[in-house]
Amino acid sequence: MTGYKTIGKSTPFIDAAEKVTGRAVYTTDMKFPNMLYGKILRSTIPHGRIVGIDTSEAEKLPGVEAVITAKDTPLIKFGIFHEDWYILAHEKVRFAGDEVAAVAAINEDIAGEALKLIKVHYEELPAVFDPKEAAQPDAVDINGVKNNIASKFHVERGNVDQAFEESHLIIEKDFYTTQVYQAYMETMAAVVKPEDNGRLTFYLPIQIPSKTRVTYAKALGMKIEDIHVIQPTTGGGFGAKMETVLHLIAAVLAQKTGKPVRIINTREEDFEGGNPRVPMHFHVKMGFSKEGMIKAKDLVLYAGAGGRACYGVPVLGTACFRHDQLYKYENVRANGYLVYTNMVPSGCFRGFGNSQGTFCIECIMDEAAEKLGIDPADIRLRNAVYPGFVSCHGWVINSCLLQECITKAVEAAQWQEKRKEKKSGRGIGLACCNHVSGYSAFFPPFHGSAAVIRMNMDGKFLVMSGEIEIGQGQKTAFAMMAAEALDVPLENVRMAPIDTDYIPFGLGCWASRSTALGGKAIQNAAEDLKGKILQFVSQEYGIAVEQLSIANGVVVNTQGEEITDLSEIGRKYLYKTNGSYLYGQGYVDPGTVVPDMATKMGNPSITYPFACHIAEVDVDVETGVVKVIDYVAAHDVGKVINPMGAEGQIEGGVAMGIGWALTENMVYQNGVLKNSHFLDYRLPGSKDVPDMKSIFLESNDPNTGFGSKGLGEPAINPVVPAIANAIHDAVGIRLTELPFTPDKVLKAIQEKKKNKEGEPCRNF
Amino acid sequence: MVHHIKLKVNGREYEILVNAHELLADVLRDRLGLMGTKVGCGAGECGSCTVMMNGKPVNGCLVLGVQADGKEIETIEGVAHGTELHPLQKNFIKHGAIQCGFCTPGLIMTTKSMIEENPDLSEEDIREGIIGHICRCTGYQKIVEAVAATAKEIREKGREGA
Repeated sequence: MTGYKTIGKSTPFIDAAEKVTGRAVYTTDMKFPNMLYGKILRSTIPHGRIVGIDTSEAEKLPGVEAVITAKDTPLIKFGIFHEDWYILAHEKVRFAGDEVAAVAAINEDIAGEALKLIKVHYEELPAVFDPKEAAQPDAVDINGVKNNIASKFHVERGNVDQAFEESHLIIEKDFYTTQVYQAYMETMAAVVKPEDNGRLTFYLPIQIPSKTRVTYAKALGMKIEDIHVIQPTTGGGFGAKMETVLHLIAAVLAQKTGKPVRIINTREEDFEGGNPRVPMHFHVKMGFSKEGMIKAKDLVLYAGAGGRACYGVPVLGTACFRHDQLYKYENVRANGYLVYTNMVPSGCFRGFGNSQGTFCIECIMDEAAEKLGIDPADIRLRNAVYPGFVSCHGWVINSCLLQECITKAVEAAQWQEKRKEKKSGRGIGLACCNHVSGYSAFFPPFHGSAAVIRMNMDGKFLVMSGEIEIGQGQKTAFAMMAAEALDVPLENVRMAPIDTDYIPFGLGCWASRSTALGGKAIQNAAEDLKGKILQFVSQEYGIAVEQLSIANGVVVNTQGEEITDLSEIGRKYLYKTNGSYLYGQGYVDPGTVVPDMATKMGNPSITYPFACHIAEVDVDVETGVVKVIDYVAAHDVGKVINPMGAEGQIEGGVAMGIGWALTENMVYQNGVLKNSHFLDYRLPGSKDVPDMKSIFLESNDPNTGFGSKGLGEPAINPVVPAIANAIHDAVGIRLTELPFTPDKVLKAIQEKKKNKEGEPCRNF
Repeated sequence: MVHHIKLKVNGREYEILVNAHELLADVLRDRLGLMGTKVGCGAGECGSCTVMMNGKPVNGCLVLGVQADGKEIETIEGVAHGTELHPLQKNFIKHGAIQCGFCTPGLIMTTKSMIEENPDLSEEDIREGIIGHICRCTGYQKIVEAVAATAKEIREKGREGA
């Protein structure tokens, strides 16, 4: 679509100047008068009964103002999906890193000294780390539920067994995906300030400032409105910065001392007690016709919840069936088990289970293409969903350019040419994905978004949205959308800071929802405000409202003649109404259908994004080192709001996927994390990521903010299988266990030499 | 053990008392209120806390405050001239090299020192030069572009001057 003045043009981020000068204030930079420094004592063992905690020596240390254990907290069971959380470990510790006690002191050094003086007496219990082992009847009990099963997911459509019988080709494999760490650069932190009226003000680097209040109110036995959250500049999140007991520990310390308390995770603590990706073990069976059409799929999944259930509950379902909307499935079955283990609680990480599921499916698609003698791009084109398609689970694929994503990516990557030229150790691989833009089952009461726009007395605008900037450029995209909808210059729009006392109740940054939903709410609020402005101008100037419009920041008549400037109107309205501002309000109700708890039928998202990625790799057959040398990512983003920001999402998402594919893995020994540093938890560096090409396809969804779709998560979903498939193209091995480290690559190459088909190798 | 140190930060002289174990990054942040220097790992593994000490980039978390005694330090707060941003800062903004911004101050310090040393930088040089920095948001591409654009501007300016 053409004719837009602001959106669709690469625009520097509106908060970049304060970041590039060091002026931006993050939670970890915040200080208040009389502020105390909190620190958390964490369990050193993965599973044990707490026999006793002696805090007396710590309490005596000069400068210590509070020492708390579970008994000092409200001891209310709470949680996000399962109520199996306490603010501090109660009676038991369930993972190494579990929060046992905390102190508040006049400085960090004293707080650290005090932790060393707390004596915890544990009775160690047997521990279990693998989700499949933890689900065995003889496994140690972690949370008092049968077989440690935190939740199950079952779905079945069509006639799976019969469809397998009718299949020409069946591929059946196990896949293992690792627990990886989001590694946002600002660790988790909180400053909590007690207020005189019993309220608590939380300054948090968080993706869900509004939604978290519901959980925290329950945990603290307070009213939701007494939990006041302010979100300072936030140094990344990638799914991790959701509810965490760290915030609540700071709250209890603040209540106990009557002073503001700040807690900042050290990097080690953040590794040990963060909110990493849900590790998964899949068994997947897929049947194909001779022509490469998918006949059936059967998936069994064991996922590790860790010591308490976090977002693993919906991540499980996502990994079981979200990818069923990528291809035209008729016969599918999935049985998933989220199992408690004595590991750190796992949760959201960009991709949210769909990236794990996509890895399995897209590797099998590649193998099926090879076995059937079909081009890997072609087998996907044959199976791809299309506009108007309704999936076997009821999801309505409204706008969709999946097929175009494949053809454009293939063209840009010179797919055909590169597949033909067989350079030693070089290979090219392709993978597709689908995703959501919001997900209705997360917060069943509603899942749209709301916005308020205020016209200031200078005729400029203040946009209030409860959707969140964590570095992805959300504020800029929103300001651009507001400027476009109001038809005013971008510099006349400001985004209000995130303060739950003033902003709408936004569900926050997850499920790639903000631009599509938050943007639509802003668009609607802008329409509302525009109508009110023109109504006021009509009254003031005696011109019929139908003859007025706003263009480039001024009010014009049907001839395009300027009637008045908005700065004039802003001041006039305010004076005339005794200091009132003119507000526009808007919301979007996405009209989705929450998947039924039993049948799983529904239509959970307002729109569905799609993508096709192509990776080119060099595999060193002597060392086993894999290097990604070229990359193309084609995305159906609905409508690009800020091309530069969208490219940034893709480049960052692909880099993160490269890390997950090749180097990143949280390595444990007897339940204790052994690589809680960046030196031995290897993130991609500047030389590990190639220059990549981003391609945007615009399906202009009819229901979302300017037709946009989510991009943050689709950017990572296909990366791992694209690399896996490229490795296969390069050296003929199929790797099914992450990460693809040199030892596994070499072993598989050797196995391949011995057998014909390389057996997948495991090393844990 | 408390030490009395003198140091110059962004052109201003300071005389302060620091504990022996206090890190330069903490001295800058907690004693001088220069919060632009970010601490991402505390172990010299992420580069976020990079500052210049006597013209060379150092990790502020690997240098003790007492080691900065008598030294000249430059932090992110000293890079712009008043409200006029440094060309590198302008290009980071223009090229979208900033997302969450937490790694940005450290990257600006390192790349500024690279450009000052030799603006004749290839893409490979830039990627090599920032290897000690972790950026989790951008995938590095736009950072490389921003640095390359600045180096080019400075090279062209140098030619005009000559």
